Amino acid sequence: MPSEKEQVLEFLTGKTGKSKFYFSDFCKIFPDKKQREVKKVLTELVNEGKLEFWSSGSTTMYGMTGAGKQKAEED
Amino acid sequence: MAKHQTPLLDQLETGPWPSFVSDIKQEAAHRAANPDGVDYQIPVDCPSDLLGVLELSFKDKETHWKHGGIVGVFGYGGGVIGRYCDQPEMFPGVAHFHTVRLAQPSGKYYTADYLRGIMDIWDLRGSGLTNMHGSTGDIVLLGTTTPQLEEIFFDVTHKMNTDLGGSGGNLRTPADCLGQSRCEFACYDTQDLCHTLTNDYQDELHRPAFPYKFKFKFDGCPNGCVASIARSDFSVIGTWKSDIRIDQDRVKAYVAGEFKPGGGSHAGRDWGKFDIVKEVVDRCPTGCMSYDGAKLSIDNANCTRCMHCINTMPAAVKIGEETGASILLGAKAPILDGAQMSSLLVPFVVVEKPYDEIKEVIENIWDWWMEEGKNRERVGETMKRLSFQKLLEVTNIKAMPQHVKEPRSNPYIFFKEEEVPGGFEHDEAAYRQRHMR
Amino acid sequence: MAFISSGYNPDKPMENRITDIGPRSFEEFYPPVIKKNKGAWDYHEIVKPGVLKHVGLSGDVVYTVRVGAARLMSVTHIREICEIAEKHCGGHLRFTTRNNVEFMVETEAALDGLLADLASRKFAGGSFKFPVGGTGACVSNIVHTQGYVHCHTPATDASGPVKAVMDDMFEYFQSMTLPAMVRISLACCLNMCGAVHCSDIGIVGIHRKPPIVEHDRLDNICEVPLAISACPTGAIKPAKVEIDGKKVNSVAVNASRCMYCGNCYTMCPAMPLASGEGDGIVLMVGGKVSNRISMPKFSKVVVAFIPNEPPRWPTLTKMVKQIVEVYAKEARKYERLGEWAERIGWEKFFELCDLEFTHHCIDDFRDPAYYTWRQSTQFKFTKHIEA
Repeated sequence: MPSEKEQVLEFLTGKTGKSKFYFSDFCKIFPDKKQREVKKVLTELVNEGKLEFWSSGSTTMYGMTGAGKQKAEED
Repeated sequence: MAKHQTPLLDQLETGPWPSFVSDIKQEAAHRAANPDGVDYQIPVDCPSDLLGVLELSFKDKETHWKHGGIVGVFGYGGGVIGRYCDQPEMFPGVAHFHTVRLAQPSGKYYTADYLRGIMDIWDLRGSGLTNMHGSTGDIVLLGTTTPQLEEIFFDVTHKMNTDLGGSGGNLRTPADCLGQSRCEFACYDTQDLCHTLTNDYQDELHRPAFPYKFKFKFDGCPNGCVASIARSDFSVIGTWKSDIRIDQDRVKAYVAGEFKPGGGSHAGRDWGKFDIVKEVVDRCPTGCMSYDGAKLSIDNANCTRCMHCINTMPAAVKIGEETGASILLGAKAPILDGAQMSSLLVPFVVVEKPYDEIKEVIENIWDWWMEEGKNRERVGETMKRLSFQKLLEVTNIKAMPQHVKEPRSNPYIFFKEEEVPGGFEHDEAAYRQRHMR
Repeated sequence: MAFISSGYNPDKPMENRITDIGPRSFEEFYPPVIKKNKGAWDYHEIVKPGVLKHVGLSGDVVYTVRVGAARLMSVTHIREICEIAEKHCGGHLRFTTRNNVEFMVETEAALDGLLADLASRKFAGGSFKFPVGGTGACVSNIVHTQGYVHCHTPATDASGPVKAVMDDMFEYFQSMTLPAMVRISLACCLNMCGAVHCSDIGIVGIHRKPPIVEHDRLDNICEVPLAISACPTGAIKPAKVEIDGKKVNSVAVNASRCMYCGNCYTMCPAMPLASGEGDGIVLMVGGKVSNRISMPKFSKVVVAFIPNEPPRWPTLTKMVKQIVEVYAKEARKYERLGEWAERIGWEKFFELCDLEFTHHCIDDFRDPAYYTWRQSTQFKFTKHIEA
């Protein structure tokens, strides 16, 4: 049984066609978990530098650090 | 000699109102002269380039900014808005020009020392331009480069004991009116409640896990100076339960002209002698006041606390002594389904440290909204989609007539199965005994 | 320029890191007279426009001088504010929700010195740095958003129109001659960062063209599913487009569903929507947030489109002035703009203010539209009804 963090990373590296995800997308990986527990898993991954936030200004998404087509434009 | 010619913007230097163009020019000149020998960490001429790009926008009638997804500093999901200029070669000083939001102190009181400390950091590490304040309430630092973000955060936390504000799908920096600090109308300590909740919910503010943004605003009284009913998802508005206090001697003093009505709010025009019946009693929306020539009376049971008599005679008529707040939920701007104001959820709550009763309401709402809210759906839209009844259910609040302006005018009532005797099932056999097929 | 480190170590971002501390405590910033009398104020007066006098139950008095400010301000300007605060106010000051600055003093002598000092300070271009006003039955400072200064989806500028309107409204800022306060707000697009939908006069930027779709580069710089999910109305669909004989992935926008919110541009830089000819301003009036006398109200659209006319937006400023002047003349004491319009009827409002009523002023958006139509034979005859 992979750890919760591994499950998140697995989901992110899977074939989704996207590099950024809403918080609610991660809640679907753990249907039995409370949102606050899911948030803890994501926060740990952020603090380890594996995930990063992406913001539209009004909403925020999570993605693998450095992933995404826009990233290249911004550096 | 200005770096860019700005003939259009120059026309905004005339006229009496403070000119932001003159101010930006002043900052451009200051940075060029650099009298304090600051080793500017981002391009010295960024104020000039901001004027240049703004002039171009005035010419094109189109913005020249692009959004960037950068959100803040390591571990935070908000507090910085990424901005890139779409003419970086013409205006290299503002090619990367991110906004940093700082948490403002409740009530927006400052000391010169503190503000100077923030300004010194921003002079060194940013554009030298700010918004005091942003629409939500933050101190907005306007324009810096990506490498400076962590440095600014380190400096403001270590030197100024100040944190970033919110952005994105999180709790936004809460804001309040000045409340009891300098206003006799305030029904609770807006500053303390605002500050306490801001600190208690730091995780929600910095690490987004909501479907969309969520704003708290705290108004001390129904006058609503911080506009919480229009501008916040969770609006706390001061109110009172006990009788309005009347000082009859001072009422007479208003009638005699010793006090000016509204404290002098209408003194610029000759509206004639103050007429307490016409201006106060007859304007009372509930008609619960009377004046017999000597004594002002209020039928408090019928008062809706609109503030008009108190605003008009602040020295003589005062809020009741048993104070608290009303909680309203769900204001938002027009997109998607039209603008909303907050709707009354908790008619009266006592506002006392440690504010557990208020926090319970907040957390029940968050749990529900995080579970049920769609991506990018404000809680006001979730309420509309899933019904006010559902909101009452998740907050354990009983329905009462105060929740509505009027009862529903359609009878399409969705009864729950358990509310109907015998549930939704019919006894078909018994029915057919009474009715032929 | 030599890089000056704050002490932050990029290799170890969590080292010596301080987080989650929130704002500084307000307690640290109160002027002594405020701290002492908090929660024990007796009453207030407006001594003259822009000058408030609060009297404590203790007998203490604090005079507050309110000055207008452009919310966009420089470090140099803020340092000057600090200097004034130190010279006159023991180093204390505050800002208001409506972008004013407030200086507080305890004696009339200090007040006079402060007022004289403030009046003497002007920007090089000639405008006042610290105009005193914004109290009582006045036009107070405008609450507004970023506009062309810093936003990526504005349909109009913010600081520019605000300066132009406030120049025109200046006498009303510095006096108390109106029937009630008039709160003006500006949002540079419908996303309304400032939520200005309950203002006496709301100035709102609108786009009128759906975004451009740059098919030739969209798939290279954007993630199609993100652009699609960004759209609140579901107007964006995936599409295959042929460019130079090659099929590329892109999107198609259903123009009739687009609300011009710019969310797709936020997610995808290949979908810009700004348009010099398409963008402009909607004027909304009659809203309020106060519960005084009547309940809070939404602002209503009275002018469906005003073109952007930088640098001074003459059509906009003329219309705002027209409305304020007619209101000043016609409304009763204490009556807010929206209360006055409701009392006389909106048909009369359009006639008196000499505003054209067009089909765009009739709501056609979903269910709430019906409730704004007139289910009654009660109306007033105005010039709009032809014989």
